[in-house]
Amino acid sequence: MAETVQTPSGSDVETAIAVLDEAGRTYGGSSVAVEALKPTNLTVARGDLVAVMGPSGSGKSTLLHVLGCLDRPTTGRYLLDGRDVSHFADRELAAVRNNTIGFVFQRFHLLRDETAQRNVELPLLYAGIARPERRKRAAEALASVGLAERVTHYPGKLSGGEQQRVALARALVKRPALLLADEPTGNLDTAAGHRVLEIIEEENRGGTTVILITHDPEVSARARRRLTMRDGVLTEET
Amino acid sequence: MNRRFRDIAYEGVLHVVRRPLRSLLTALTSAIAIAVTVNVISLSFGFEEDIRSDVDLFGRLTVDVGRLPVLIPGARRPSLGPPEARLIEKKLDGLDAVIVPRRQVAANARADGGDGEQRVSFVAAPPAYLKTLNIPMAAGRWLQDDDPDGVEGEGVCVLDAAAVGLLFPDTDAESDIGRVIEVDVAGTKRRHRVIGVLEDPLRYRELFDAFDEGRGSRTLTSSLLSFRNVYVPETALGDGQFTGISIAMPSEDALEEARRRLLTVWSVDAGDPKSLLTGGVGVFVRKDWMDALAVSTRQGTLLGNLVWVIIVIVAVIMISTLNLITVRERYDEVALRRCEGARRRDVALQITTEGVLMSLVGGLAGLPIGYAGAALLRHIVDFPFRFEFKYAAAATGVAILLGLFASVLPARHAARLQPARVLGRRLR
Ligand SMILES: Nc1ncnc2c1ncn2[C@@H]1O[C@H](COP(=O)(O)OP(=O)(O)OP(=O)(O)O)[C@@H](O)[C@H]1O
Ligand SMILES: [Mg+2]
Repeated sequence: MAETVQTPSGSDVETAIAVLDEAGRTYGGSSVAVEALKPTNLTVARGDLVAVMGPSGSGKSTLLHVLGCLDRPTTGRYLLDGRDVSHFADRELAAVRNNTIGFVFQRFHLLRDETAQRNVELPLLYAGIARPERRKRAAEALASVGLAERVTHYPGKLSGGEQQRVALARALVKRPALLLADEPTGNLDTAAGHRVLEIIEEENRGGTTVILITHDPEVSARARRRLTMRDGVLTEET
Repeated sequence: MNRRFRDIAYEGVLHVVRRPLRSLLTALTSAIAIAVTVNVISLSFGFEEDIRSDVDLFGRLTVDVGRLPVLIPGARRPSLGPPEARLIEKKLDGLDAVIVPRRQVAANARADGGDGEQRVSFVAAPPAYLKTLNIPMAAGRWLQDDDPDGVEGEGVCVLDAAAVGLLFPDTDAESDIGRVIEVDVAGTKRRHRVIGVLEDPLRYRELFDAFDEGRGSRTLTSSLLSFRNVYVPETALGDGQFTGISIAMPSEDALEEARRRLLTVWSVDAGDPKSLLTGGVGVFVRKDWMDALAVSTRQGTLLGNLVWVIIVIVAVIMISTLNLITVRERYDEVALRRCEGARRRDVALQITTEGVLMSLVGGLAGLPIGYAGAALLRHIVDFPFRFEFKYAAAATGVAILLGLFASVLPARHAARLQPARVLGRRLR
């Protein structure tokens, strides 16, 4: 049975990595407004592995974008790592995305003209890290997702599963506190999907908080906590 | 420059290199614009500088003392005669000045045996007058002290290039020496044998003529440089009032000193064109006039420069459009960069770097193309192109500005992109 997520309060909030406090996101003007995310309360504990399910268009990606500081809530507050980021300026949000949050998307979003190595280096570049250090850390990240041999490959020469692992390496090279994955296996066959999930779980065991969106109940079943999104309303599955 | 800034700009460089065809298209547009730019700049500034040096022939180190007002025909003018000449001599004592009074009347002249009277200016001047003019001889010699003045019997004369063009249109300077012209000076017919012809100070007379014809009137430059003067010995016009007194000075410093001293006698400094309407005796430093004249050729320069400015603007629009389209195809990339920590201005920086780089590369390629075109043009028509490093440098600057301006819209567009709109889209 589903129940509405409780208003955040108490010590949970202090230790939580992400807290939505009546945070909502509305698109468009007043006449054609789409309330993609209704005012929502959510507390994500540090180190948790959360799955979000729900029908298409229900607002899952919107939720993830707010959590990932790619989008600001139009109402309410969002506390990330104890800081209210709802009113952060572009510069600060960019810094947060750069050093706190890792992203993985259904479409891998790799730069086609760049090698796996340089794709993984990207967040480090925006962090202002020198090239030699970037290369070293990118190579390590690629090795950690089993792609040590693919460093100089271009995305076009890699399988879907390998591309998603490059994307994962890019997300993990920042050593993010929060890993956000929007249907990371949605575009992969079962075996490749499993491989990706294993890496995500492994990362989670290392302490990284993971929130992942999926349409696959099997994937959802592996999460510690499951949420369902329907018409912009988030509910907890117990 | 910090490392982050440099690395982000370098991302732009990489993008240009990795998309050579697309980059080439932008670069090509810039190349054409810069080729035209350098072409026109080297033509128009070359032209301006040539005219400047032509104009310099009229004696930058000369001061003229003249009767005002010169621009109101028939107006009463003050006396300027031998006493004034002596006063000048006294005033400029010790300055090594060459003082040359002259008398000048309008007259009708015709080549001996030829038909068709031509309006010329009949100038009676001492031999030293050439020094204040500074124009070389094309043929023959200048006036000397004992030359016959033509008051009784046949005199001699020296013609300037404009007068020669009117009186002997079809022969060269060399063969005009020894020919005779008939001059009607205030009802008296006189005969003067040509002993010398001045060079044409106007190097691009044909160009000026064509320009004048097109405008239906003379330009300031062409009218001032086309004197149609017939120079004759100083006694040819009797001993009345002088039209003007020209004073050649040995140096710039002496020139300034002469101006200063003369202005203590006659207070009208004719450096200001308005003073030409006032009365009295004016002190004209020819250098001021020459400079004003050279500036007036700017009009032509401006016209030429309008051409490249328009072409550069068109290039800005074209490259803007091209880059805008490119940015639209790069929403995914831009969104991802934002997602990975790029600020809006980082995105703008990258797009701007790309734009400037492509434009610069194109511009550098356009330089030799422009010069080749100019050389070809010079081969066909004798246009005064000047190839100088500073024009190439200016055109390179234009290329950079072109890239900057063309990047404004694309960079703004890319920077404003909301990553959330792009990244969450699903594959179907
Ligand atoms: N930028 C936007 N402008 C206007 N409406 C938007 C925008 N982004 C999303 N929406 C709308 O918000 C609602 C939620 O969209 P969202 O992408 O969050 O759904 P989703 O659950 O991720 O769907 P899917 O499973 O198909 O990815 C949809 O109705 C969508 O049309
Ligand atoms: Mg979605």
